[in-house]
Amino acid sequence: MRPGQLVLIAIFLLAPCVCAQTAAYTPQRTPEGFPDLEGIWQPQTSNAAYSILPHPAGFLLGSGSKTGIVEGGVLPYQPWAAEQVKYRLEHLEMDPTGHCHYEGVPHSMYFAFQIFQSPKEIAVVHENMHAWRTIHMEGRHPSDYLAWMGDSRGHWEGNTLVVDVANNNDKSVFDMAGHFHSDALHVVERFTPADRDTILYEATLDDPKVFTRPVRMKFPLKRAAKDYQIMEAGCFEGERDQTHLLDGLAAIPDHYDQKLNTEPGPAPRKPDKQ
Amino acid sequence: MSKLSILLAGAFAFASAFAGAGRAQNSIPYKAPRTVDGKPDMQGIWMTRNAAAFDVAEVAEGRRIPYLPEALEREQKGDRVDPIAHCSMPGVPRITYMPFPFEIIERPGYVVFLYEYQHDHRIVQTTPRAHLEDIGFYLGDSVGRWDGSTLVIDVTNLNDKTWLDSARHTHSDALHVVERFTRTGADTILYEATIEDPGTYSRPWKISMPLHRMTEPGFELREQECIEGDNGQAIHPPYRPAPK
Repeated sequence: MRPGQLVLIAIFLLAPCVCAQTAAYTPQRTPEGFPDLEGIWQPQTSNAAYSILPHPAGFLLGSGSKTGIVEGGVLPYQPWAAEQVKYRLEHLEMDPTGHCHYEGVPHSMYFAFQIFQSPKEIAVVHENMHAWRTIHMEGRHPSDYLAWMGDSRGHWEGNTLVVDVANNNDKSVFDMAGHFHSDALHVVERFTPADRDTILYEATLDDPKVFTRPVRMKFPLKRAAKDYQIMEAGCFEGERDQTHLLDGLAAIPDHYDQKLNTEPGPAPRKPDKQ
Repeated sequence: MSKLSILLAGAFAFASAFAGAGRAQNSIPYKAPRTVDGKPDMQGIWMTRNAAAFDVAEVAEGRRIPYLPEALEREQKGDRVDPIAHCSMPGVPRITYMPFPFEIIERPGYVVFLYEYQHDHRIVQTTPRAHLEDIGFYLGDSVGRWDGSTLVIDVTNLNDKTWLDSARHTHSDALHVVERFTRTGADTILYEATIEDPGTYSRPWKISMPLHRMTEPGFELREQECIEGDNGQAIHPPYRPAPK
């Protein structure tokens, strides 16, 4: 046998091993036999709550992010929507989370949560905003319903939990930097166990009324320390802390919903940090 | 056989059949199906069918709440708008008898309550642990355990900002609630709670009520969000008249 053949055979023999090494981690199973995602998870989001795009330290008192969580670091807004983002950035008092509303999906996923995994239903229970949602593993999206957290239907693709989130209202936002969506938002989430203590979270955000193409984001979820507990976050109507974030903000309007729906002002100030 | 003896025999058979049925009812309690880890299965979507959220005395033992006179006086001077009108969590046990459905999910070591009302939730560990110390929560700190077929939840660290109903039955932050959930049928749970607050009530008192399964096929909880900007007067008027 010539040396060349030997090398070829060696490559041939080694190839499956290489494949095996790069193949996905095989997670533990729940008692019912599904890939086990249960536990308390702490997202590593690079300050996405402030902005999902790269942003400097000090932006809204955050410590900044060089990367953001959006693929490519760009949000492909349609021109009218880009104007709207600037307007919203000037009117942070409209941010619904400052009024203790649900964050929506994926915004709620930037904060710690616990997963309880029944075969037909996976509960995602958040500390922040005392929010929860259930990912139904059967049934269809309702036809007559819009919600802050949308309606989640999941299925398994191998060890990956794929969740289709529809029925989103147009009130929740992606962050505090004015990044918003319409009620045409459709989110597809993928939860892929990467090792015992890590889940890779990916989301595709499609909103034909606001973006020119779908947006992809991803960040890892890390298993929380053993003594971590999800506790009660009592955020209610009447919360006024948001005014502390910026100087010179007018009083929070009583009916901000209407204001959210107004057209952008005639000559919005150019945002300093965007 | 005489007519009389036939009649007597018939009456005896009738009576013993009745007694048998009675005995059967008492001696064979409902055996709930079990979860994957062998615990009584309380999973599903449940709701009360009563008016306890408006006046908890309706479901109190003896239909009376044993208030101390000084607590009643304190109550008279307190806020007159039901705290839930400001979108706050209703507290324990009120969250259970709010007229909204809630879901129970059981996993090994946990019983999770997902309430449609105000998207509240309670994560109850059923493995033994000590209560937290010196924290005031709207829904308290819940520690669960299984007592035979009954789920027992011990709730402390409740704050004094909630009412037991919209009839302004109040309590202090020393409130201690012990809840008991027992399956009594395919579609029913018996819910009992012992309510103890030495500075407010002269003795611990009990409430009990059935929880009914939502049996409508495909029934799912939906999102319930509080109405921002609502000061509560419109939909939750004070139930009792203000003192003169």
